Amino acid sequence: MVEEQESRAARERRRRVGDPFVRAVAHLPAKVRTKLLVAFVGTSLLLVAVGLLAQLVLGQSNDRVASVRPLQKRAVQYSQLQAQAKHLRVVLSVNVATDFGTVWPEVAPPQIRGTHSLAVDLFAVDAARRIGASTAEGQLLLTPPREDQKILDGIKSKADELSNLLVEKIIPLYGDRTTISNENAEMRPHRAHAEGLASDLLQGASRLANRTTDEIDRLIALNASSFARSRALFIGVAAGALVLALLLGFVLSWSLIGPIQQIDTRLASIASGDFSGHVEVENRDELGALATNVNRMNDELRRLYTELEAASQHKSEFLANMSHELRTPLNAIIGFSQVLRDEMIGSVNGKQAEYLDDIISSGNHLLSLINDVLDLSKVEAGQVELEMHPFSLREALERGVVMVRERATEEGVRVAFAADPEVDVVDGDERRIKQVIFNLLSNAVKFTPSGGEIDVSATRVNGEVRVSVADTGPGIAPEDWDRIFEEFQQSETGVGHREGTGLGLALSKRYVELHGGRIWLESELGHGSTFTFALPAGSSTS
Amino acid sequence: MTGEQILVVEDNEKNMKLFRDVLAATGFRTLEATTGGEAIHLASEHTPDLVLMDIQLPDLDGVEALRQLRANERTATIPVLALTAQAMRGDRERFLAEGFDGYLSKPVNVREFIGVVREHCQGRVG
Repeated sequence: MVEEQESRAARERRRRVGDPFVRAVAHLPAKVRTKLLVAFVGTSLLLVAVGLLAQLVLGQSNDRVASVRPLQKRAVQYSQLQAQAKHLRVVLSVNVATDFGTVWPEVAPPQIRGTHSLAVDLFAVDAARRIGASTAEGQLLLTPPREDQKILDGIKSKADELSNLLVEKIIPLYGDRTTISNENAEMRPHRAHAEGLASDLLQGASRLANRTTDEIDRLIALNASSFARSRALFIGVAAGALVLALLLGFVLSWSLIGPIQQIDTRLASIASGDFSGHVEVENRDELGALATNVNRMNDELRRLYTELEAASQHKSEFLANMSHELRTPLNAIIGFSQVLRDEMIGSVNGKQAEYLDDIISSGNHLLSLINDVLDLSKVEAGQVELEMHPFSLREALERGVVMVRERATEEGVRVAFAADPEVDVVDGDERRIKQVIFNLLSNAVKFTPSGGEIDVSATRVNGEVRVSVADTGPGIAPEDWDRIFEEFQQSETGVGHREGTGLGLALSKRYVELHGGRIWLESELGHGSTFTFALPAGSSTS
Repeated sequence: MTGEQILVVEDNEKNMKLFRDVLAATGFRTLEATTGGEAIHLASEHTPDLVLMDIQLPDLDGVEALRQLRANERTATIPVLALTAQAMRGDRERFLAEGFDGYLSKPVNVREFIGVVREHCQGRVG
């Protein structure tokens, strides 16, 4: 009962692990093979999903890098434009810089100080035209976005306006001169206009360049943050997939291992003779079927076991009754014969006394037969439980020798006993071992002719104690060596011999074997027999 | 012979005859009962010196009869021997443990039987 509670507690403990998913998986009405296949496919799909996600994330990152490239190209173009505008602005500024000569007197001789140069202005015309041309799509080698195009258009018109101004208003003022004073009243408003246009050009070009740089910066920042987001997503999904796969494996494993453990526990109980429990497996797969069969086997074994127990009980009652019923009439037979033989109620003559002795010895023989048959039946029925305890084998042998010596001496047979000093206490059923010893000794006395000799010896060999009884009787033919240990079998020389139930050796063999020992015989016709039995001496002390 | 009185409880007619005749020939007086109830009644009435009790009896068994004898103060101290054909291994120990003063298995050896009976009567008297 206590054990059952313990196993139930263990079962509860097991059930908590992974419950209720484990139970859910166990409940699925699918074969284990299918469940395993689904689990493997599921895990594989998770791996594929993670792989696809990785590819997607990498692709996005690559796209963003690719989108920066044209911007960089545009930025280069725009900064070239910006440089040209700056250059133009500087050229025009040089023209108006009255202090040019004071800064670099060697370069600008005094006669050209405070003057504008026709050559420079012609160069400015050329520069302005080049800027105008640069804004054309073909020159830029790219298609500018709409906002850029507006600015570019503005730049082109300003550049055209400037070149027209220079060509139509400023250059004609030179006439056939190469320089003109910056104090020239006609020139001044045109120059101021030209400088304003150049500044506008530079401003436009600068706006373009800055816009593009900002765009690049924005894209790079976006790319960085997108990459961080993608990486987090990827790691998250991968970790999730891993956890999911592990969970799947865990749940599936426990839905299989749990029942196997339960079945194993039950089988161990059955093996030790406990049929009281059932396996409670919820699986609706092969393991569920296995558990059902284990339960059926358990029930069938319990039924058989109960039947066997009842049969065994009946047999043992039958044996007890038979013993009782056979002994009751024997009591009268032997008892009355003894009363007559002892002449308690009057004298008997010689022949009558002889017959009475025959009745008594036959009665006693019958009693021995009854005892032996009952003992043997008990051994056969497995009802003999050895009463194991340590006892002195040496003393048992000495007593056995004393018991047969009187009769042996009467028949002129000498009995010798010799035992190794280390043979003494053994573990065994004293009464049954004594029965074996007495059986071997009385057999020896029975079959040894007058003048013969019986040698009883005990030795310790290879962890067992051996007891040998050797006689100088007629010997036993090899073909009888095994047979004489069977019930009601006697050797050729034994048949028709004076007495014996034919059960003694069979019983002796059973008893020795119940002790885990063995009994055997060595003999030669005409040279006597040696019966030896060996008991394991594991627990003996000497 | 002191002529002690011995109550023989035995349901088998032939065996009863044997025990009665042997005891009478040895000089004892006998009382005969064939059932447990009769045995208790006779023991209480005559307080014999010794009871030889069969175990398998028609009414109550010998062990129960012993219990009732011991429960009655008139018969509580009378020695009771189990005299039975229940002679399987362990039976002797079982009956001695039940409180019998001795155990004789059937078939009895008449000489041994007389010896044991004498021993228990003397034990009581002496």
